[in-house]
Amino acid sequence: MTPEIYARALKVAPEALRPGLSRRLTNWGLVALCGLAFVAMCVDLELAPESFLLGLGKLARFIAISMPPSDGGDLPRIVSALAETFAMALAGTVIAALVALPLGILGAKTVVRQPVLHFAFRRSLDWFRGVPALVWALILVSAFGLGPFGGVIALALADIPSLAKLFSEAIENADEKPIDGVRAAGTPPLLALRYGLAPQVIPVMASQVLFFLESNFRNAAVLGIVGAGGIGFELEERIRIFAFDQVAFIVGLYMICVAGLDTVSQWLRQRLA
Amino acid sequence: MLELHGVSKRFGETLAVDKVSFTCQRGELVGIIGRSGAGKSTLLRMINRLTDPTDGRITWDGQDVGHLKGRPLRQWRRRCAMIFQQFNLCPRLDVITNVLVGVVAERPLASSLVKFFPAADRARAILELDALDMAHAALQRAGTLSGGQQQRVAIARAMLQEPDLVLADEPVASLDPVNADVVMDALQKICRERNVPVIVNLHSLEIARRYCTRIVAMSKGAIVFDGPPVALTQAVLDRVYAGRTTPDNATTFSIVEAA
Amino acid sequence: MSELSPAVVAFETLRRRTLRRQRMQSLAGLLIFSALLLLSFQRSQFFSSDIGGDPLGRIGDFLNRMVPDLKGDALFADRRTDGSLAWWFYDLPRWLRLGWQTVEMAVVATVLGAIGALLASFLCARNLMPIPAVRFTVRRTLEAIRTLPDLILALMLVAAFGVGPLAGVITLAISTMGSLGKLFSEVNEEVDPRQLEAMRASGAGYAAMIRYGVVPQVLPNYTSYALIRLEGNLAGAAALGIVGAGGIGIELQRAITYTEFDTYLAILLLIVGMIFLIDIASEAIRHRLIGLGEAR
Repeated sequence: MTPEIYARALKVAPEALRPGLSRRLTNWGLVALCGLAFVAMCVDLELAPESFLLGLGKLARFIAISMPPSDGGDLPRIVSALAETFAMALAGTVIAALVALPLGILGAKTVVRQPVLHFAFRRSLDWFRGVPALVWALILVSAFGLGPFGGVIALALADIPSLAKLFSEAIENADEKPIDGVRAAGTPPLLALRYGLAPQVIPVMASQVLFFLESNFRNAAVLGIVGAGGIGFELEERIRIFAFDQVAFIVGLYMICVAGLDTVSQWLRQRLA
Repeated sequence: MLELHGVSKRFGETLAVDKVSFTCQRGELVGIIGRSGAGKSTLLRMINRLTDPTDGRITWDGQDVGHLKGRPLRQWRRRCAMIFQQFNLCPRLDVITNVLVGVVAERPLASSLVKFFPAADRARAILELDALDMAHAALQRAGTLSGGQQQRVAIARAMLQEPDLVLADEPVASLDPVNADVVMDALQKICRERNVPVIVNLHSLEIARRYCTRIVAMSKGAIVFDGPPVALTQAVLDRVYAGRTTPDNATTFSIVEAA
Repeated sequence: MSELSPAVVAFETLRRRTLRRQRMQSLAGLLIFSALLLLSFQRSQFFSSDIGGDPLGRIGDFLNRMVPDLKGDALFADRRTDGSLAWWFYDLPRWLRLGWQTVEMAVVATVLGAIGALLASFLCARNLMPIPAVRFTVRRTLEAIRTLPDLILALMLVAAFGVGPLAGVITLAISTMGSLGKLFSEVNEEVDPRQLEAMRASGAGYAAMIRYGVVPQVLPNYTSYALIRLEGNLAGAAALGIVGAGGIGIELQRAITYTEFDTYLAILLLIVGMIFLIDIASEAIRHRLIGLGEAR
């Protein structure tokens, strides 16, 4: 490009060739600011490279210990803890679904048509949507004593708001036309829902519940850390004594179970669709 | 006999149907034509009472049906079967259940909740389906059928209601020409053989002229023409489709007229 | 009914057969499900009597202990007065400090995880990585990360890196990489090849193609996925403190150790408020981004 052409182009569209200095400055300033904020946060969190390297060294030693994995002669106990984890996940999911169903119906815009009421109800569900199951489990175990009972309630509590919201959306997204069709035949309201709405909504809800079962199997594995039973307790015990060969065994077995459950649930969900 | 006296429907500020009056006798096949938004659908939905009229009287054999509520309203809906443009079947239920929805209103609540129907009902449903050549698909999910097949299932459902009156809201607008003829033939047969009035909203002038014994034209919510198809002149059509240069079927229309 | 038409007879035969099959399947499904459910409830000691009957009474008692005894007349008194708000939130400055640390952990981990995910996503996108073995390995690794719950990972990393936010940040960064890596690679594979072709046709090099062909297409999606993940990471970071990986969770643990149930509720409300604020901020940014994406 000759300088002559550039000069001519500059006359036609100066902004296109030379973005304003102030704009470039703000752009770079913003990037620099973000970078600075990031570094400041790292410093504030005391993320020192030497402790990172030190930890990495330890981690390498843990991995060395973990080969080959071993069940430590405790296979029956591990399997039973895995079964308990699944039991907690299933019980928690079922309870959550049972409680979320009426909440979800009440939260649907098409059921409660009063906009203020609808908004208030949905927002109040939103409040506790982010609280992780472990946070619930910590206090529930302390209240109800060690054992899986607190864990089940914790899983249910963590799921109910999100599940209720999904149920509401499933109902709101249902097609009105089939319901109209059934109503036009003089069908009473309850049966209009039975033949017009339920066939649309129930498969969607069931597949959402299956999704939550999958995720609860992951969450339930954690709850043992605070004494809510299941595989988490076994893991924590072994990490505490640095028995990483057994940890590797349990984690491996657990991941196989997760993959197995995911496969079954996927198959079921496909059948529902 | 269906009678409408000054029936109106207002949605907020807009007047969808404006003081419509007409009567409809047994054996008549009435086609309602007009631009979209002319109030045709609202009119049919008001007769079936899926939509409540704001004003006016709707009577059947002299009995007021425009203000029914609860059980009598549902009984009226059962007597006046409705067919929709989008078929309004439940895609996930099988065909026979979709047809049996036509008798759900008369059966005990508990057995209907568990989808139980007596063998006699099932047999009637199959015969209605068979009359429309759909019995073979009885156990298939309705959602797996083509549009034309779904509309035939919807007609079988309407027939199972043993209606005194059939309303069809754009029943062929979503169908190809061959299926449109099948559906219109079926409606015509119902009208003749069972001697019930059939009121059809139609987009296509050509179909209206071919099948209907009487045509009602609506514009901006009001009736602007009511008479036999032969009386439907270009002047009337200009009024009905005012603001649009030619109606959808202008070419077909002139061919039919020439023939 | 002897005068049944052939259509009806054919249907009834087919129906009987279908129904029998369906009923067998439903029955089997129902049996398996109820057996599993029964075992599960039994296993999780749901109706077990040795934790004491009357579960509803226990829940009521528990709620009662969680709600602080606030006194209306002393509500705005200082924290030495029983029943005031300040008395309920007696350690507020410390909690806010730890709350801010939790936010920092979430932000830093999301940034690091997103960078890792970016690298991984280029390594496992079909249209950008030609060697199948690399794609396969990266994909499987990401999958394995997603299978492992965060807190289990955190337990191990706390053992290696010691108590403190470092272990928490690494945990969240790794799990962020697992989930974002998959999402990013999906975004990469949806890059419109026609734009790339047009650039190649005009003689652009690889770097220019990535900068002007790929980045403008993927950046809005990347950012909005990363922001959604940030919301999740904040909730995750709040729980990590329970296992000693930094953040506000440590205070939850402490409140439980001293059985201060009302303090627990106070901290829980702080966490909920924090998550809520970040959700709103992130949603606002995401909506602006989507608007930007459309303008392009």
